[in-house]
Amino acid sequence: MTLLTVENLHTHFVSRSLDNEIRVARALNGVGFSLERGRILGLVGETGAGKSLTALSIMGLLKPPARIVEGRIDFEGRDLAAMPPDELNRLRGDRLALIVQNPRASLDPLARIGEQLARVHRAHRKADVATAHRRAVEMLAAVGLPDPERRARSWPHELSGGMAQRVLIAMALINEPQLVIADEPTTGLDVTVQAQILDLIQGMVRARGLGAIVITHDLGVVAHYCDDIAVMYAGSIVEQGATRDVLADPRHPYTINLVDSTPERLKIGSGRVFGGAPPNLFALPEGCHYRLRCPRATGACAAPPPWVAGVGGRLTRCHHLEPR
Amino acid sequence: MTLSRFLLRRLVFSVPVVIGVLFFTFALVRIGGQDPVALLAGPTATVQEIELVRRELGLDQPFFVQFAIYAQKVLSFDLGKSWLSNKPVLGELLDRLPVTFELMFWGILLGALVGIPVGLHAAFRVDRAFDQISRFVSLLGFSIPTYWLGLVMLFVFFFLLEWAPPGMGRISLIVTPPPRITGSYLIDGLLTANWEAAHSALSQLVLPVICVAIVASAPIIKQTRAMAIEVLGRDYVRLARAAGLPERAVRGIVWRNALVPVATFIGTEITGLVGTASLIEYVFAWGGMGQYGLHAITSGDFAVVQGYVLFLALFSVLVFVIVDVLGFLLEPRAGGGS
Ligand SMILES: Nc1ncnc2c1ncn2[C@@H]1O[C@H](COP(=O)(O)OP(=O)(O)OP(=O)(O)O)[C@@H](O)[C@H]1O
Ligand code: SF4
Ligand SMILES: [Mg+2]
Repeated sequence: MTLLTVENLHTHFVSRSLDNEIRVARALNGVGFSLERGRILGLVGETGAGKSLTALSIMGLLKPPARIVEGRIDFEGRDLAAMPPDELNRLRGDRLALIVQNPRASLDPLARIGEQLARVHRAHRKADVATAHRRAVEMLAAVGLPDPERRARSWPHELSGGMAQRVLIAMALINEPQLVIADEPTTGLDVTVQAQILDLIQGMVRARGLGAIVITHDLGVVAHYCDDIAVMYAGSIVEQGATRDVLADPRHPYTINLVDSTPERLKIGSGRVFGGAPPNLFALPEGCHYRLRCPRATGACAAPPPWVAGVGGRLTRCHHLEPR
Repeated sequence: MTLSRFLLRRLVFSVPVVIGVLFFTFALVRIGGQDPVALLAGPTATVQEIELVRRELGLDQPFFVQFAIYAQKVLSFDLGKSWLSNKPVLGELLDRLPVTFELMFWGILLGALVGIPVGLHAAFRVDRAFDQISRFVSLLGFSIPTYWLGLVMLFVFFFLLEWAPPGMGRISLIVTPPPRITGSYLIDGLLTANWEAAHSALSQLVLPVICVAIVASAPIIKQTRAMAIEVLGRDYVRLARAAGLPERAVRGIVWRNALVPVATFIGTEITGLVGTASLIEYVFAWGGMGQYGLHAITSGDFAVVQGYVLFLALFSVLVFVIVDVLGFLLEPRAGGGS
């Protein structure tokens, strides 16, 4: 069953330059994908590709000058892109939840862990303090923190990064959301802890039948944890499909480049851009945005490329592919 | 760490600061190339008196011996005598301390009670009308000369509108002051159920307190706004929004996290305000420590100046200790926890 469908999403940064000219950074250019319940979608792409911005657009957390200028975000039959801010705020932390990087910095330093979880619970449920606290302890136990009663009384500064990330996961899931978006949930954590956290997210998603989007730089993570993959470049998805199919046989020139430059089970290395300069969002090339860096580019690429179907429902956006 | 251990550590760390302060006030009369003895004895001193002071201060001794003598005197509560009144400086200052404290306390309290909410409110609507206005008003507060502010207040509220009593001290001339308990006429009046005195003291307080509050609130507004804007950008505020907390709750998180740095700032501000308040005391003939110190400076009563500066410095050391303890109590990271 489809949980989330993003269609033709355009998010722009609109600002004025010093000489009062309007400048538009086209950060998302027609992002579209859909997510089924019980599945995990991996969103990959080089730094600045618009992965986080996609997450923020869905969550309704864009801040000026960023703005959705076009598109639909269909979630449980409602369009999040057109929803009034108050209403969307009531869905956040309830029906849809975000897990971020920097877990330690993301906890309020002046509130105990249990109190912070209870706060999120009470924001969306009519629960008294004691019930909310019990629920918080329950969630801390569910994410595998030993001695959850004691943890609930801890301050954020007393937690390690891995523990703090578990707390964020508990916080995200406390109101049993349907959709979870994790934006680089393991960046900055120890390698051993990274696997634990991803196992935890995967386990929770499977056990509760949630839909999840995992944003990462690590194709190994996608291969290991995600059912589907979407590859982003310059604010568009250029290829999407089942993880196994796409990684085994990448078809889009950008995906090929991405997979080739990633040794088996090794990171892309966050922040690294390979094979050319990052695109200028203020002046993207007409047609295929990748054509200035693409080895296969021809004159035809100056026109917007079509979606080409592949086996297993794979879609690739390129002029020079045959449907399979 | 427990509070008592923290306090102990904090006090131990204050010792070198206090020594530095002592050294500074000691050096105060020895810079400028004048004979310190003549300065301390005052312009009307006779030759014998000057000789007496010279021997008392051990001025024939080496520099550090002189400092030791001075420090020893201060530590045994001897700050010398004022040549104007011929009374011990310490007693004169202590008499006036609660008078100044009363003015500062209410003024800063009012300034903070207005400044903190205004600064927060502005931070939540950066660049909108309220923010623009509050920035303009706080800029005014920064640039108005204190002395002039006091005079204008008197002119408008006493002379034109007749809402306030004249700026002639802490209690009306026709009201008998209450017996001294705390040194504040208002509180002593209330304690002794002398309503007439309390009422008079209160109406005398209003204008100078508002003056101090205006001067104090301008930087409080600015600092609170800046702190709150910084906190608004922190990851935990973004996560609070992502978790769908109502705006009211998000603001609660913001102001509590901005509070500790703002409180620290107010602490640093207080010490500077004592100087400003002395001008306000002057305008309203308040008769506190500030006015006394100011008068001593203009009349060259150097022993008083020295004692006054020492008081101010020790006062700021004390304020910083209090601010640190407050921070300790409010910050879980420091080990206290709210
Ligand atoms: N105020 C702004 N004006 C113009 N462009 C902006 C502004 N803020 C961000 N951008 C651009 O928006 C794009 C989207 O960034 P986003 O954070 O979504 O990238 P990302 O794919 O998550 O990258 P990373 O892997 O580094 O997290 C970036 O290219 C960035 O340069
Ligand atoms: S459309 Fe052209 S430029 Fe774009 S990826 Fe395909 S071949 Fe390269
Ligand atoms: Mg990102």
